[in-house]
Amino acid sequence: MTDLIAESLETSEDTQKGKFLTFLLGNEAYAIEIKFVIEMIGMQPITKVPELPEYVRGIINLRGKIVPVMDVRLRFKKEFKEYNDRTCIIVVDVDDILLGLIVDNISEVISIPDEEIVPPPEINKCAENKYIKGIGKVGSNVKLILDCKKLMNEKDIEAVTQERQL
Amino acid sequence: MSDIFGNDPMLDMFIFETAQLIEQLEQSIIEIERVNCYTEDSINEIFRIMHTIKSSSAMMHYENISLIAHTIEDLFYFLREENPENIDCLKLTDIVLEGADFIKHETDKIVEGRKSDGDGSELINSIRDYLSELKLNNPQADDEEGKRPSKNEDAGNILEDCSNQISSMDFPNQNYKAVVYFEEGCQMENVRAFLVINNLKEIAENISYVPEDIIDNDDSIEIIKNNGFLISFKSDRSYKEIHEFLSHNVVFLKELELYEIKLGGYRQLVADNQDSKEPQFFSTRQSIISVNVHKLDKLMDLVGELVISEAMVLKNPDLNNLVLNNFQKSARQLQKITGELQDAVMSIRMVPLSATFQRMNRIVRDMSKKLEKEVRLELIGEETEVDKNIIDHISDPLMHLIRNSIDHGIEKSEERKAKNKPEFGTITLEAKNTGGDVLIIVKDDGRGLNKESILSKARKNGLVGKTERELTDKEIYSLILMAGFSTKEEVTEYSGRGVGMDVVNKNIDAIGGTVSIDSIEGEGTEITLKIPLTLAIIDSMTIKTGESLFSVPITSIRESFKARNEDIIIDSEGNEMIMIRGQCYAAVRLYELYKINTEVKNITDGIMLMVENNGDALCIFADEIIGEQEVVIKALPGYIRNLKKVRGLSGCTLLGDGSISLILDVGDLTASLKEGRMKI
Amino acid sequence: MKKVLIVDDAAFMRLTLKTILEKNGFEVAGEAENGAVAVKKYKEIKPDIVTMDITMPIMDGVQALKEIKTFDPDARIVMISAVGQKPFICEAVMSGAKSFIVKPFNEKHLVKVLSQVLGM
Repeated sequence: MTDLIAESLETSEDTQKGKFLTFLLGNEAYAIEIKFVIEMIGMQPITKVPELPEYVRGIINLRGKIVPVMDVRLRFKKEFKEYNDRTCIIVVDVDDILLGLIVDNISEVISIPDEEIVPPPEINKCAENKYIKGIGKVGSNVKLILDCKKLMNEKDIEAVTQERQL
Repeated sequence: MSDIFGNDPMLDMFIFETAQLIEQLEQSIIEIERVNCYTEDSINEIFRIMHTIKSSSAMMHYENISLIAHTIEDLFYFLREENPENIDCLKLTDIVLEGADFIKHETDKIVEGRKSDGDGSELINSIRDYLSELKLNNPQADDEEGKRPSKNEDAGNILEDCSNQISSMDFPNQNYKAVVYFEEGCQMENVRAFLVINNLKEIAENISYVPEDIIDNDDSIEIIKNNGFLISFKSDRSYKEIHEFLSHNVVFLKELELYEIKLGGYRQLVADNQDSKEPQFFSTRQSIISVNVHKLDKLMDLVGELVISEAMVLKNPDLNNLVLNNFQKSARQLQKITGELQDAVMSIRMVPLSATFQRMNRIVRDMSKKLEKEVRLELIGEETEVDKNIIDHISDPLMHLIRNSIDHGIEKSEERKAKNKPEFGTITLEAKNTGGDVLIIVKDDGRGLNKESILSKARKNGLVGKTERELTDKEIYSLILMAGFSTKEEVTEYSGRGVGMDVVNKNIDAIGGTVSIDSIEGEGTEITLKIPLTLAIIDSMTIKTGESLFSVPITSIRESFKARNEDIIIDSEGNEMIMIRGQCYAAVRLYELYKINTEVKNITDGIMLMVENNGDALCIFADEIIGEQEVVIKALPGYIRNLKKVRGLSGCTLLGDGSISLILDVGDLTASLKEGRMKI
Repeated sequence: MKKVLIVDDAAFMRLTLKTILEKNGFEVAGEAENGAVAVKKYKEIKPDIVTMDITMPIMDGVQALKEIKTFDPDARIVMISAVGQKPFICEAVMSGAKSFIVKPFNEKHLVKVLSQVLGM
């Protein structure tokens, strides 16, 4: 029985392996592993939650589920860009915790084989770089592969400073 | 092959039932202590409980638990059979409770997913010692040792008769000889052999066998295991028939040797029983099932969402200004059904407080014994029901309160006598239902609280504000609920343990309840826990500030009103206050507190809501009131909870139109403001 | 499918037996938590076989066996016993129990005993 489940998990992981959802922030192309992605939706009305860092825009009602949304631009200290009809929310699930990522627009699902992925440079660890797991080469382009786990779990300094200001 | 004992429902059931049995056991012990004697019924009951635990835990491979239970079972077997005199009740009780504790402790480990590795051998030895002591003091029993226990005499006699009858036969004409080998590990080979003989009697007579003393002598087990079980008999059945009969009827048959001995014989008619059973089909269902709480939680969530979706449909803006008679009629029907469904689901989750209350008996017993105080516990209203989640939250606080009462409240007998009080101290634990809330009252007739010493201690710990105005009695007493009141100085074995009344307060607060204290010095203390019936759904008032919606539990709202500019007072630090009926309250502008953009900044344009928690009141300024409705509380999403604790919010909820409202936590708000964690 | 009546005062044992039996293609037609209920249920359900615990409140397993046997001499009853209850098993066997099994038992043994007693 457990074998069966393990087997089916294996196959689904297999089919998802190497697959990435790519999206744009300005001119930069990012990618996240498809296994984290639950769904992609257009912009939704957001309810603000006080006392949170600016990049956490608030919470949305996803068919009865309350999901927090993060503006990835702001997270990476980029300039805020007004949301438009191309703005998308990618809902990811990391270890049963849901988060919506607000991105400029979604491109496509692509395969990047392991051997085409190189680790990010060690130096130059800016805020953005911290959340990059690797750099994937697709033809002549590169995609920055996001580390979803880090993105979600890292208790960053900003939140703490914000707290002090209050 | 998968082992069914590895699966969860089985383990759940084992843990559930064992816990129940132990509780039952403790209850009988309390009863026993009250009448100060072990009645036949109570001995039987404890015997049965231990017997059951022994078997169940052995099935689950918890050998240590099984062994303890077995040892206690043996002890009570002796008590039941021999009815020895002059037993030391106290000692016996201690033994049983110690065993119960061991079992409880081990099952707790199992619940936590740890290994049950407790070593009960010391306890087992002491129980065995006690048993031998008992046997020694009751020589009658000693004399009869070796004899079959009296209760089984009936069975024994029959057996003796029977085995005599079988084995005392002279070697008559026998025409068959058989050797039966049983499978290894089938247990009680001698009794199995006895079963064979008994079966064989259907078709054979003049039966004799080796070994002969299969029932009386357990050594026969080894002989049968090694040499097989040898039977000689006479039967008029054919070799084939007999071979078939034995192969069919002998359970755990490993090997059968059958020899026919040529001899004359006669035919015996064996009544062939007709199968007289009529096919009848009855469905027999058990009327009670046990359900995993998570499933109930899930059901509760779903019903909550159903209520919301219903509101989304019925209050859909698309329906505005339409005349929909039939729709409205059906909608009302739907509302009625969802309402009933909600009630039904809530009622499933309701559990009586009795088990929690009963548990306190044990604490009172143990503590009063240790502290040499005479304390009686009175339970009132234990049938009162509350939500399952709440039960889990109040058990510890109650335990703490009871401990406090015994430790600090109730005086020793001499002291009580000197004060003209009854020698026995009495603690009353009472539950009652008052509509939306349940009150749980812990009352003792001990020495009560001393206002002066509370005040001086609070002052010393800096808990009383600079403005030492006249505090009401209740306010003084409630000082002991504050964090930092209970100091380490007076840690006693029981109520100390590093937790003070503030933990009680916190726990009760966490489930939306409140604690209040009343006391008369010299006469006793009464602590009342006010607890909501259920956690998940609350009646709330929704208010709006800018684009943000907030829901405030109705239970924490005192009133709402329009404030006048002249009511507002500003202190030197810029804090706003408001004067109402001669009382001064802090005024909090939600838009300032949470940095929300709004047009409504003039105090006369918006609305004031006076909210209260634990006697602390403050006024909240918002743009407008949206309305009152029942809401399903949802926690803030995990990501946000991990990020930081948002002060003054307990969660969020979905409103009928699908928008999200944040639930204000008045208790946290007042506390945060008071402690200066939050600036207005 | 063979109908089984499970008699045991411990819910855990009933669940254990039920799980094993259902997994092995038996129909658990009823459960009883003491001997008195067992006798009543036996009359209602007329099961093909009964698993009977010995130590139970109100009416013990041996007494229940006797009463069921009076009602239906063909009743197939398998005693479920703990170690050390030999006299009771013997009495049960004398009174017509078809077989017995000793706790803690394993799945294989239980199924084997029941199948054999049912002549399956």
